[in-house]
Amino acid sequence: MNNLQQRIALCFTNVFPNIRQDEIPNASAASLASWNSIAQVTLLSSLAEEFGIDFEVEDFEQLDSYPLIVEYLEKKTLDA
Amino acid sequence: MTLNQALTIINSRRERAECEIYYLVCGFEPLHLVTLLRAHLLERRADLKNVEVRHGVYGDLRGNIEAAAGSAAIASAMVLEWGDIDPRLGLRSSGGWSGEAKADILESCPQRYTHLETAIEKLAARMPVAVAAPSLPLPPIGNTIRAQSSVFELDLEQQLAAFLLRLARLPGVRVLQRQRAESSSLDARTELLAGFPYTVPFADALANSFVNVLCQPAPKKGLITDLDDTLWSGIVGETGAAGVSWSQEHHTQAHGLYQQMLGHLAGCGVLVAACSKNETSTVVEALARKDFFFNPESLFPIHANWGPKSASISRILKTWNIAADAVVFVDDNPMELEEVQVSHPGITCLQFPKKDATAVWNLLGGLRDLFGKPLLMEEDRLRQASIRASAQIQEMTGDAAAPEFLSTLQGRVTLDWSADPGDKRALELINKTNQFNLNGLRIEEGEWRRRLENEDTVLAVASYEDKFGPLGKVAVLLGAQHAGKVKVSHWVMSCRAFSRKLEHHTLEGLFQVSNADEIEFAFAATDRNQPLQEFLRSLGILADGEGSHRISRGGFRERCGVLPHQVSNPASKLTSK
Repeated sequence: MNNLQQRIALCFTNVFPNIRQDEIPNASAASLASWNSIAQVTLLSSLAEEFGIDFEVEDFEQLDSYPLIVEYLEKKTLDA
Repeated sequence: MTLNQALTIINSRRERAECEIYYLVCGFEPLHLVTLLRAHLLERRADLKNVEVRHGVYGDLRGNIEAAAGSAAIASAMVLEWGDIDPRLGLRSSGGWSGEAKADILESCPQRYTHLETAIEKLAARMPVAVAAPSLPLPPIGNTIRAQSSVFELDLEQQLAAFLLRLARLPGVRVLQRQRAESSSLDARTELLAGFPYTVPFADALANSFVNVLCQPAPKKGLITDLDDTLWSGIVGETGAAGVSWSQEHHTQAHGLYQQMLGHLAGCGVLVAACSKNETSTVVEALARKDFFFNPESLFPIHANWGPKSASISRILKTWNIAADAVVFVDDNPMELEEVQVSHPGITCLQFPKKDATAVWNLLGGLRDLFGKPLLMEEDRLRQASIRASAQIQEMTGDAAAPEFLSTLQGRVTLDWSADPGDKRALELINKTNQFNLNGLRIEEGEWRRRLENEDTVLAVASYEDKFGPLGKVAVLLGAQHAGKVKVSHWVMSCRAFSRKLEHHTLEGLFQVSNADEIEFAFAATDRNQPLQEFLRSLGILADGEGSHRISRGGFRERCGVLPHQVSNPASKLTSK
């Protein structure tokens, strides 16, 4: 895991305290029962705070897995 | 606190099984507020337990108040927003902002407030409730520009203020100071997306305010003030009484503000004393001036001498009969503060910043926080006079008052057995008394109310007065009665009532009213309850083979001797059993 992925993983651990480290790379709303709409808002708020960014409304609907979030944040941090 | 910090705190404590329950009552999706509230509660209650914060459903504030009242929570934090008063004042409504709609909003508010008030009153009868008034901005529907208030907005604010005033007068309700950061409180995006209307920093500030109001530390009881360059500007020993000042005219108004604060605190029942390195006669002459901004007679006792201030403070604490950790000492001189702090590690030492008016203003705000309490009671008004009376009695008799002397006091003891859950003074005594305290155990307000609902519960609240004046309610005994025995779980008595045999009268009353053959005490030694330990020893109440502390009716009669005061036992729920 690179530094960005570690920071993302930390947010996942904060929001899903029962998740195992090896589950994080494949985690998604479909695979985690506790990843409901409230958890989705909490997770993106946690990431927004960690990376100092704002998510768009459509991001809340689309970013529903760890790989998608990593891809999004890699692009966002590259753009910055 | 950030959201991630809050989540980290919560996750670090989640293994702890024992849990204290709070209820967050709101009409919106509580999302980050519930997280931040829980984290702030965990930080504040680091001592023993985990904390769970329950909440209700979206869009039903009144239903959520009722759900909280039926829950096992020990306290509630309730947030009111404009959308709860009328959905048309929220962001998620499409009810329209026409002139007719606005008129209808104003007309329907009073009924809404009445319904909420009724529900909140019922909730507050079960547990303490902290209420936050709306902090979100109103929709931009005033006819004026934003910098100018419209009549519509002022009308809404007036109705809200009247409602909050009624709430603040309800027992058990604590209204938060209105949050100031209105412009930055709203997060319109999360409100529309998830039904959560606040920015994280605002939710954090709100959660912190709730915890400050619901988990207040025990207020300090006494303030000891220095005189020169603190109560007044100048050194009275050098300039004479006429040379010191505290007024706007002399550019020394900061000292006048401090005097007014002392007068305010004394009026709220705070003990105020003076401690100064001066000749007594010089101080007496200065305090005889008629232009003080408070009544100097409220200073008791006054110690003016050339010895160390720590020694004077020891004598003041003895007169007040309270511990140093319940006291604040204010002096302009850092060296004096340090000398006192070293001798009395528990005392709160504050420097009077004589050359900085802003710092003085902040000091006064800090004093408000140190001495503030949710409710003022009759006993607060009586405290100062009764301390003087106790000092007088002690001067006349020494530490142990003789029975012959006590019988000359014309004392009257009232033992109230009605177990009134609205009696805030009884709970206050249990939660702040240290010396005559059976075991040091405290009770949360929610638990207190539940104990009193139990029909086996025995509660005695003792009041006392004699020829020196009333002391008010000064002792509380709480227990449960089972088959001819009363088990006492809590027993406290204010130090102002020591040496009057009030504790003997209380036990006599308990045997009489409960008809019990034996009383068992859940005694535990603490590092401060020596007066209680001495009392138990005097009656021969020592740990038996099972480690229990008990006394029989006969044993009590044998040892208690003749009791000096007249006793009345008004309404008792026990006598009907």
